Amino acid sequence: MDLLSWGEIILRMFGRFMPVWIALAVTFALSITFKRRLGLYGKLFDSPIGMVGFGLVMFWVFTGILGGGFDMILTHPVLEQSASMKNKVPGTPYTKMMGEAAEGAYPYYLLGGDNLGRDVFSRMVVGSWEVIKIAPFASLFAFMVGITLGLPAGYYGGRLDTLLSFLANLILAFPVILLFYLLVTPEIVLTGIPVYMAAVLFIFPIVFLVLLWNSRFHTQPKTRNIYVGITLVVGLWLYSGIAWNADPLGLIGFPPNLLVVFVAVVFVNSPTVFRIVRGLTMDIKTRDYVAAAQTRGEGTWYIMLWEILPNVRGPLLVDFCLRIGYTTILLGTLGFFGLGLSPESPDWGSTINEGRKLLSLYLHPALPPALRAAEPRSGAQPAGRRSARGKPARLSI
Amino acid sequence: MAEPDYDGPILEIDNLSISFFTRLREIPAVMDFSVSVQPGEAVGLVGESGCGKSTVALGVMRDLGVNGRIVGGTIRFKGRDLGTMSASELRHIRGNEIAMIYQEPMASLNPAMKVGRQLMEVPMIHERVSEKEARARALDVVNDVKLPDPERILDSYPHQLSGGQQQRIVIAMALMSKPALLILDEPTTALDVTVEAAVVDLVKGLGRKYGTSMLFISHNLGLVLETCDRICVMYSGEAVETGSIKDVFDKMQHPYTQALFRSIPLPGTDKNAHPLKAIPGNFPLPDERPPGCNFGPRCDYFQAGLCDAGDIPMAGIEGDDRHLTRCLRFADIDWHAPVEAMAQHEAGKPGRVVLRMDRLRKYYEVAANALFGGGGALKVVKANESLSFEARESETLAIVGESGCGKSTFAKVLMGLETATDGEILLDGRNIEHIPIEKRDTQTVADIQMVFQNPFDTLNPSMTVGRQIMRALEVFGIGASDQARRDEMLRLLDIVKLPREFGDRMPRQLSGGQKQRVGIARAFAGGARIVVADEPVSALDVSVQAAVTDLLMEIQREHKTTLLFISHDLSIVRYLSDRVMVMYLGHVVELGTTDQVFSPPYHPYTEALLSAVPIADTSVQKTHIVLEGDVPSAMDPPPGCPFQTRCRWKSEVPGNLCETEVPPQRDLAPGHQVKCHLSQEMLDRMEPVIRVAAE
Repeated sequence: MDLLSWGEIILRMFGRFMPVWIALAVTFALSITFKRRLGLYGKLFDSPIGMVGFGLVMFWVFTGILGGGFDMILTHPVLEQSASMKNKVPGTPYTKMMGEAAEGAYPYYLLGGDNLGRDVFSRMVVGSWEVIKIAPFASLFAFMVGITLGLPAGYYGGRLDTLLSFLANLILAFPVILLFYLLVTPEIVLTGIPVYMAAVLFIFPIVFLVLLWNSRFHTQPKTRNIYVGITLVVGLWLYSGIAWNADPLGLIGFPPNLLVVFVAVVFVNSPTVFRIVRGLTMDIKTRDYVAAAQTRGEGTWYIMLWEILPNVRGPLLVDFCLRIGYTTILLGTLGFFGLGLSPESPDWGSTINEGRKLLSLYLHPALPPALRAAEPRSGAQPAGRRSARGKPARLSI
Repeated sequence: MAEPDYDGPILEIDNLSISFFTRLREIPAVMDFSVSVQPGEAVGLVGESGCGKSTVALGVMRDLGVNGRIVGGTIRFKGRDLGTMSASELRHIRGNEIAMIYQEPMASLNPAMKVGRQLMEVPMIHERVSEKEARARALDVVNDVKLPDPERILDSYPHQLSGGQQQRIVIAMALMSKPALLILDEPTTALDVTVEAAVVDLVKGLGRKYGTSMLFISHNLGLVLETCDRICVMYSGEAVETGSIKDVFDKMQHPYTQALFRSIPLPGTDKNAHPLKAIPGNFPLPDERPPGCNFGPRCDYFQAGLCDAGDIPMAGIEGDDRHLTRCLRFADIDWHAPVEAMAQHEAGKPGRVVLRMDRLRKYYEVAANALFGGGGALKVVKANESLSFEARESETLAIVGESGCGKSTFAKVLMGLETATDGEILLDGRNIEHIPIEKRDTQTVADIQMVFQNPFDTLNPSMTVGRQIMRALEVFGIGASDQARRDEMLRLLDIVKLPREFGDRMPRQLSGGQKQRVGIARAFAGGARIVVADEPVSALDVSVQAAVTDLLMEIQREHKTTLLFISHDLSIVRYLSDRVMVMYLGHVVELGTTDQVFSPPYHPYTEALLSAVPIADTSVQKTHIVLEGDVPSAMDPPPGCPFQTRCRWKSEVPGNLCETEVPPQRDLAPGHQVKCHLSQEMLDRMEPVIRVAAE
């Protein structure tokens, strides 16, 4: 069999992504049809830029879920090596051994093979799954930490603010890459520091939710107890599993490697979120509706979480989208240095690094993941910015 | 550059139409608008917010932004069409021949540049004069706007000046190039009344001195009466009536103008005997304008088939000087018919004393070094100095004063957001001055509630209206279940006369007046007995003000509420309050019934306040009193009487009593207290500030 031409490669890739196209088409069709009823999300579909950004993001989200989660798009198993496919250029026909076509397998390595003879295309697809698994959740946790500390700092001001801001600045002043290196080096991991950090950082979502429910429902103890109870049971169960790897039921576990990366990402992101929330809170707390809540004797956490927080959601949403992008890059950086995730993991960063060694000889193994790593980020930005437009309380950061 | 001689009108706007274009549609902001400004003439442009008056000003400056476009008509400045000018010609005219003064002085000045530099820029750019000459001119103009110590002012940054001084600098900057036309867009709205009076006085004087024509944009009819020669009333993008001040004020020929005058509290109106007449309905949104007359749906004289048939042209009124009206029926309407009698109310009888303040003091300590608290000298700000008064059931007590007089601090202490430094607050005989709000029991909190000033700020923008009222009910422990609370919420919406569907709406879907009604419903959710209303209508349009005020009065009558009405607008205070308390720099300078405070003898500050308030009635004559300077800072109050730095009666007090001693509280009549050193005979010699000419 002959080498595929670039036109054929693109056509075949397009074909492999068919499930993604279908999913995208369905999403867009539904969203545009009902955009007037979808509120903020629907507004996204009023602008071409917003739609392009959203499309880019959703492409990789679907690729990640369908490829990584359901094995749909892949042409070959990501870890399977083929002696004859080492460093082959894109479009090379697949052979298991030298000269021998494999039965039932996809007949080409669409984007070539890497130095171990693995399929670059499949690894790229699965790599997106790694990003999707970590980036949004790490950002979410960073937000919980940043919000839970930023609100009181901005609302009370004074010494609490001075102290918390000082701590945040301390972390921010430290070079991020260096911090990462420190956190993920095996020696540090052995001391248990990352686990303790996880223990501290992961308690914040539980604290956040408990405060949220309690401040809202303290006048109706029955409802309050239900919400707080559910939060505590589920939260503490997940907490023991994720942070301490001590789930009593043995269901939840977190690979130690992943935990370290996760903690590192949350740790470096939360001070920035803290600063944004603090600044916005200082602005919003002078509003009359906050004064109205104060004069009817609301608790401070109610005012912070239910009067102030919903009105800073615009800038926070924008920042959240940006932060997912940063996190993608961070994960890529970590992978590139070979830190964090397991060595064979097909995440984009490690793939780029492996390809780098051959960069002068072969370009193809490094390029696709590099482009991919840049893409969700450039897509998330316009999407986030669009969605924050035309909102009741629009604030600039 | 020598301009060709020109003696026609300075500004001629002819059938101007301006639209803004959004992605979805075209929104007409100004339609078929014509006005002309003669040399040396001041034309007032009056209307409610959203009527397009500022758009006209921006159109004249050709500064409509990317979305705005002139879609019809012409704007001629000194005979030249501004619409066909190139960008560089326009640059030459802007700031040089047409100058504009905006509402917010701080936003008009560059905070990073010294005032002198900013002033000098104008002649240096437009006339390329030397730096030295520019500075000399700047000094001249600063002298002209009556700022003390011009050299020092030129060397200060904008933030080192007070609001009034900043606005004077903005005016000075506009006058630097001796423009032919000055556009003033609500130039005094952000200023205090006494400062406003001084600035208006200045603008009038300068206009006369330089012979500048003025286009004065305002929502305040009284202000226009004081400053302008001609007036143009706008409604929903159209001019509805133009003419000389005298014609329009005394012989109005458009129903909207008439309704506007009937909805503002003029001397002679009274909440019980002569209530105000609010304009029914709401201002139409630009894309929901009715066919035919825009004012039709709200007009008392509406005639179906005539008024909604087609576009209505401006019609001249014979015998008057350029007096035009956009009404088809102006000849049929009997303009002198007496106002339809509104429902009159029995005056509420003040009941027992609910709230008593006794020598209440609130001091703040301000550390010079704020970072770590301690260290540095502690400064004491005396926000409230010995406040004593009592308020009775179903009584309205107005608290009047300018910014910095301590009225907000007083409200905070009463609500429990701050605790008093000294003195007592007795609610039903119980001391509450030292209990912060989180320690007060639910009943006390529900009893004292507040209505806020800014309708756009008073509701949480991300919660439905109903949710917000229900939250208040929840906190006050009213209603056993969500359903019960929902019913109660709907009942409250009925009370404030809002449709029940509003319960599920977001605040952004409501107009300013409707939001303020929700704010009132929320305040009364717990059956409040004392309501502090902090300028509840000052941010609303005049036609809505009357309706909201009426609502407050009605609820008060029904619930026997004690209303503490904080305001700086003496017209509305006279209209609705039973007693008035005038505050200055933390002191109560005068306290008495409305009649006692509004007629001599006055405290000198009350006298100045009364004189400063513009009244939109040509038959009213006022004594002209302009206060010099600004309200002193509460951080650094003058010794002796707080008002001595601006008082015009100071010379009548023997010795330097005013500068050394705080005057004692004196009773002039039963229930009428004044804090002043003036002797009884001097007080007796005072003349009334406001006189209504005999009709």
